[in-house]
Amino acid sequence: MSHEGLFSGSTENVMRWVAGAGIVLGLAAAAVMIVVLLRKPEWRVTAHAKWALLVGLLVLPGMTMLSGNVVGFHKVKNSCTQCHTMDPWVNDMKDSKSTTLVGKHYQNRWIPDDQCYTCHTGYGLAGNIQAKIGGLGHVTHEYFTGVPDVIKIKRPFNHETCLHCHGESAKYLKIEQHVDAEMKPKILTGELSCFECHAAPHPRKKP
Amino acid sequence: MSDVHAPPTAASGSVGLVTSACILALIGVGFSLAHFIWPTPLFFALFMIVGQGSFGLALLLYVIAIIRDLRKQKVL
Repeated sequence: MSHEGLFSGSTENVMRWVAGAGIVLGLAAAAVMIVVLLRKPEWRVTAHAKWALLVGLLVLPGMTMLSGNVVGFHKVKNSCTQCHTMDPWVNDMKDSKSTTLVGKHYQNRWIPDDQCYTCHTGYGLAGNIQAKIGGLGHVTHEYFTGVPDVIKIKRPFNHETCLHCHGESAKYLKIEQHVDAEMKPKILTGELSCFECHAAPHPRKKP
Repeated sequence: MSDVHAPPTAASGSVGLVTSACILALIGVGFSLAHFIWPTPLFFALFMIVGQGSFGLALLLYVIAIIRDLRKQKVL
């Protein structure tokens, strides 16, 4: 049994509340929609039905979906490789002999938890269409076409993800190029990628 | 006598849209509830792709039904 109180502020407990709220909201939405579907078809286009559906089809399911995203991403943060075809690269990250950037981050615990998620959350809380299409592409690779030997990132990696941790660190600021009057603005705007100078974070070819 | 062969009216079209929207939204909510109860990567993927996809489509159909009604009432 958990030692946490019902109102503990721990992330796990907050997620339990969000999930509970999601279930209640989802059941309420389903109840409204079932009632609407059980009424005569003509009633479904009346003003009363419109108001009922504004709540039952828009507000309640919308909140259910939002809480589903929050809870879902929290629960699967450590299970990325079950859907995304990155097994060889994740194995490389966890390999104590790996010399890649992600390997060093993992071995030194620079990112203590949720390593994939920390660097690859550019598509936001709600998840967007691009991410879904990308995810379907990964499923296709996993089950039909196989994982390609060479992987290519679809869009340039967001430089702000690196700068979020490194940008103001003393070690970063000690490097002459990082504070150079000409290069600094280019680094900050992403015109100059971190990987122009630093090695690619993952091996280019399947390890 | 039943008029099953009568041409579809704007109202019957809206009824169809609203009914479809409700069914699709129910599917979306169903996947959402399933992933709350069984928080596995598979259910999460189904929720993200099928659940949210059908909910998005439901919203689209509902908005189309509303716009049709507003046009019928000459508000738009």
